[in-house]
Amino acid sequence: MPIVQVKRIAISDSPWPWLLPLIALLVVFTIYPLIYNIWLSFHEFAPATRGLKFVGFANWVQLWNDTRFWSALGVTFVYFAVALTLEIILGMAIALLLDAELPGFGVLRAVLSMTLVIPPAIAGMMFLLMEDPQFGVLPYLLGQFGLLDKSTPILATSSLALAGVLIAEIWQWTPFMVLIFMAGLRALPVEPYEAASIDGASSFQMFRRLTLPMMSKVIAVAVLLRGIDLFRVFDYVFVMTSGGPGTATYTVSLYAWQQTFSFLKWGYGATLSLTSLIIVMVMANLFIRIAKVRW
Amino acid sequence: MNERDRKSYLAAVTDRFVRGGMDRREFLRVAGKLGLGATALGMGFGNRPFMLNKAVAQEQLKPSADVMAWLKDVGKPFAGTTLKLATESTPPSNAINSQLKQYFEEATGIKVEIEVLPLEQVLQKLTLDVASSLGTYDLYYIDQSWSASFSKDVFDPREQIEANAELAMPNYNIDDFLPALVDGISKYEDRWVGVPYDIPIFIMIYRKDIYEKLGLKAPTTFEELLNNSATITKEMGPTTFGYAGQMKSGHYALECEWTSMLWGNGGSIFSADKKFVGNDERGIAALDYYTKLKATMPPGVDGWTWDGQGQAVAQGVAASMLSWGEFFPYFDDASQTKVSGLCEAVIPPQPIALRKPSECGYGEIPGVGHQGGSSLAVSRYSKSPHAAWIFMQWATCADTQALITALGGGTGPTRASVYDDPRVVANARVGAGTTRHLPVVRETIAKYMGSEPDLPQWAQISSDTIPVGLGKYFAGNYGSSKEAMDDIGAQIETIVQG
Repeated sequence: MPIVQVKRIAISDSPWPWLLPLIALLVVFTIYPLIYNIWLSFHEFAPATRGLKFVGFANWVQLWNDTRFWSALGVTFVYFAVALTLEIILGMAIALLLDAELPGFGVLRAVLSMTLVIPPAIAGMMFLLMEDPQFGVLPYLLGQFGLLDKSTPILATSSLALAGVLIAEIWQWTPFMVLIFMAGLRALPVEPYEAASIDGASSFQMFRRLTLPMMSKVIAVAVLLRGIDLFRVFDYVFVMTSGGPGTATYTVSLYAWQQTFSFLKWGYGATLSLTSLIIVMVMANLFIRIAKVRW
Repeated sequence: MNERDRKSYLAAVTDRFVRGGMDRREFLRVAGKLGLGATALGMGFGNRPFMLNKAVAQEQLKPSADVMAWLKDVGKPFAGTTLKLATESTPPSNAINSQLKQYFEEATGIKVEIEVLPLEQVLQKLTLDVASSLGTYDLYYIDQSWSASFSKDVFDPREQIEANAELAMPNYNIDDFLPALVDGISKYEDRWVGVPYDIPIFIMIYRKDIYEKLGLKAPTTFEELLNNSATITKEMGPTTFGYAGQMKSGHYALECEWTSMLWGNGGSIFSADKKFVGNDERGIAALDYYTKLKATMPPGVDGWTWDGQGQAVAQGVAASMLSWGEFFPYFDDASQTKVSGLCEAVIPPQPIALRKPSECGYGEIPGVGHQGGSSLAVSRYSKSPHAAWIFMQWATCADTQALITALGGGTGPTRASVYDDPRVVANARVGAGTTRHLPVVRETIAKYMGSEPDLPQWAQISSDTIPVGLGKYFAGNYGSSKEAMDDIGAQIETIVQG
């Protein structure tokens, strides 16, 4: 390309020369895989034999009739709802506590963020050991308080396994909420609080009437970010329970991974992944509209 | 000589002795002069258990000169080639990767890259390689349950021997591979899917000291196994339990153990007309037996795969297990476990009844000695199939197998001749890397081996349908063992019918 032409492009007002590289990356890494995934969901594809067969909506019909999928979806929703609720409540409570400038709280804030640098699979392994009925600290403590027989295998008991996995999730990601909420709290104006204080408002009243409304957008962003992540949960269940006992902790992501890579059913695996994507997109869009999140 | 100098001199002498730079007699003489005698000798031994064995063995643990000469000769045209293999962490792969491949690389100039991954990821890599036909991996590690799926993506080694006579290793002797393993691991229909590479097999391992203390004898029947385990748990629980299982819900480990119980109780997975029969009278009796045995195990067993099971014995939590023989050398390693020299290996308990292979479907062979294992094969998509074939012959020849076994790999050799190799026999003593369990492994392979069915859907059935169903059963989600087995059977029928 002649130098003059290059210079002309460089000083052009048109955004396209600058957007094109980004668009190319998006096409290669996002749009093409998505289209390929959609195409694959209408096929039966056995990679080992490269046997490809168009099956129309057969994979989608199978999904509709697949009790394992519905069970996994139910588990995913429970996981999502419980983890998100507890992470928000605990995150906000800890953020409010640490927002006070007391001696030592700076160190505490730093310590809290340390959990975020641990890979989830490692955190899962840690809690797998901590919940071991033989030598784990958690059953021991619960046993000491009379809440559980200390030899109960938490992760192998249908009614407790999901809670066992959730403990790891909440331990690791609550500090993320704390950091977001603390950033929000520090950006709040002080004047409304001073006025409320003069009017004799209690701490709870100030929290309810001032903090929560002013923090709503920050909370909404945190919910959106964590919500999407929670719906894709894979690491903790893979490491801690492999979906068991039975199907008590099987999530949609784990099921999609298993169908794709263990059973080599790429068409059905693609259908499961797309379903997960559609659910997340619908939920996120609904939430954005309801919470009026503005980017 | 003052005290300080005396100690320094002793330290130097001990160091020389430990490094093999001084013989035992000379060391004793010097130590005697220092007035330390046997105490000092004890220091040397205490720091390096089995040092003499290892020192002697090290001299012998080198590839044979003939093999090296052949590698040098045949490998020349391929110098500069890089071969890739993705494998699970198994004794042969680990020994080759960490200690032996350097010999191959030096002799041939061929570089070998070995990726050690969890089994699921090996399958994932293999599948992608086959689907794309890119030939990223030159050699395939093929678990026995994948043989049917990948049988056409690899070279049959018999074809390779015939087609490439100039590359054939002298005395490679393909007939030396144990026929039972060829049938159980490496054969799908009439093709060889590589050669048997790794053979983990269930043997009975028990704590002799605990058994003797309680006046028990090694279990020879299923009934004895249950009674012994119950007695130990009753007498020594909750610190020590009679038996450790591998019962993690949804994991292949649970299917392996259940299969052993099923076969040992006279049942089978499929009937001759290829119908699921794990829910017949014998199948139900097997699950009921397994349930009773579970009551003698530690509480955490529902979350253990074979790793947890092995650790339970290694740490003294459990007194017996019916499991992979390759654990045994680890148990005997005093630097890693508390049970060195305390465990004994015996053949698996005799089954209550045993169904014949002709009464089963899909090539299933009932036998309490549940066999796992994998093959090594050259990929059809490899860009350097000749170099890969040279490596494969070297990695699976008798000399390399003997080195792998003697280096403490623990796995049972897949060739008959290796069991009698002097280097392997020399390690049959209490200590790290022992081979004293191998006669039991050999006998189990020959007489008591059980082999899973071969069908393309088996990966799903064995890693999901059965262990998930059993996991639900042990978690109390079914009303009875019959209900659980019927549900598992119904799912399997649906999968098999496609």
